[in-house]
Amino acid sequence: MKIIKKVQAGTMQSSDLMVFLEPADTLTVTIESTVLKQFGALIRAKVDEVLARHAIEAGVVRITDRGALDYAIEARLETAISRATEA
Amino acid sequence: MVTSLLSSDDLRQARTLVEESGLSFEPPYDDLVGIFQSRQLVAVGARQGRVLKMLAVARSHQGGSLLDEVVTELIGRGFQQGADSFFIFTNPSHATNFERLNFNLLVSSGKSALLEYGDGLRRYLARQQPLVQPGPNGAVVANCNPFTLGHRYLIEQAAARVEHLYLFVVREEKSLFPFDCRYRMVREGTGDLKNVTILDTSSYAVSSVTFPTYFLKDGDPGGEVQMELDLLLFANRIAPHFNIITRFVGSEPLSKTTAAYNCAMHRLLPPLGVEVCELERKDAIGSVISASRVRNLLCRKEVEKLAELVPQTTLEFLLSGEGRKIWEKGVRT
Repeated sequence: MKIIKKVQAGTMQSSDLMVFLEPADTLTVTIESTVLKQFGALIRAKVDEVLARHAIEAGVVRITDRGALDYAIEARLETAISRATEA
Repeated sequence: MVTSLLSSDDLRQARTLVEESGLSFEPPYDDLVGIFQSRQLVAVGARQGRVLKMLAVARSHQGGSLLDEVVTELIGRGFQQGADSFFIFTNPSHATNFERLNFNLLVSSGKSALLEYGDGLRRYLARQQPLVQPGPNGAVVANCNPFTLGHRYLIEQAAARVEHLYLFVVREEKSLFPFDCRYRMVREGTGDLKNVTILDTSSYAVSSVTFPTYFLKDGDPGGEVQMELDLLLFANRIAPHFNIITRFVGSEPLSKTTAAYNCAMHRLLPPLGVEVCELERKDAIGSVISASRVRNLLCRKEVEKLAELVPQTTLEFLLSGEGRKIWEKGVRT
């Protein structure tokens, strides 16, 4: 699927994350997290998995995380993707 | 739930809460939001462009997630308006409260700290990476509203003294001429100088974020602190990225704000490894060339005198249909 508009999902509260998606020609993913040192790789793996499942191959994906569990990451990202890809 | 604060009673409560927290209630803003509990306003915050301000939580309600909710709302609204990074000025002792929300500390000057959400500075520097020269390089930061022979002289002199010169054109749209016109005048007016690269400042130098009073020109005392942050940000983050060891600036006999900025530059930059080189302004018809002098001539429609103050490339632009439309409109308002 294709990201066709700028969207945001999530909150800045503890145990949650904010997801920002924007259209672009290539895929870039940036992750900021208060627990980046401990869990950065796991967050990245989860994000890549969800993007791959929705066949997102291009776009700017920015995530700021405050220690969200993986199902929260999945839910927020899914929400953002469905907002970003609907006409 | 976070709601917009619109009624006069909302505003009164907001002002009280902001002032009780030791901040001042400072319109204007694009959004003012808050959270009520039992009809009492317990958290408040505002957004003006990319800057979040007047963030306060009632003492009795601190320690929870109210601040997070207010900031979420302001950022969500700002993002919808097209901003993708956001700034907060705060006391350095409060910086960690915002770092917990994934704000990054850009610069701190003892009295004040500037934090950014959205990693914009790193993204800005990464975008310019292909233009980085090994150095040692110099820099000029200028608004060029419009580009004059004074700018041209400063740039020529500066470019002759360094390996490579970066000319940062102020991005902010607060001037008579829009950024893309100023940028074009600069590019056309410096095209023959081989070791000059033109960049835009984004939000990170002389912008309404780092230096709002530059655009007011009235020597506002609160501007002092922000002037410092602007210069510290330049010396600590921008200059090292571009291997800049000298910042060139024209002497300033006219504008008080710019003179104070130059003065702060001499005080703050050298200890951080950036030498400041102040060059005498170029004269024409009896006094120094400045962009404001050019604007005054335009205002009085004395176009025949322009040729002494601006290069041919700028003159052509000013007299073109597009150029005329800008300054003739400016004259009327």
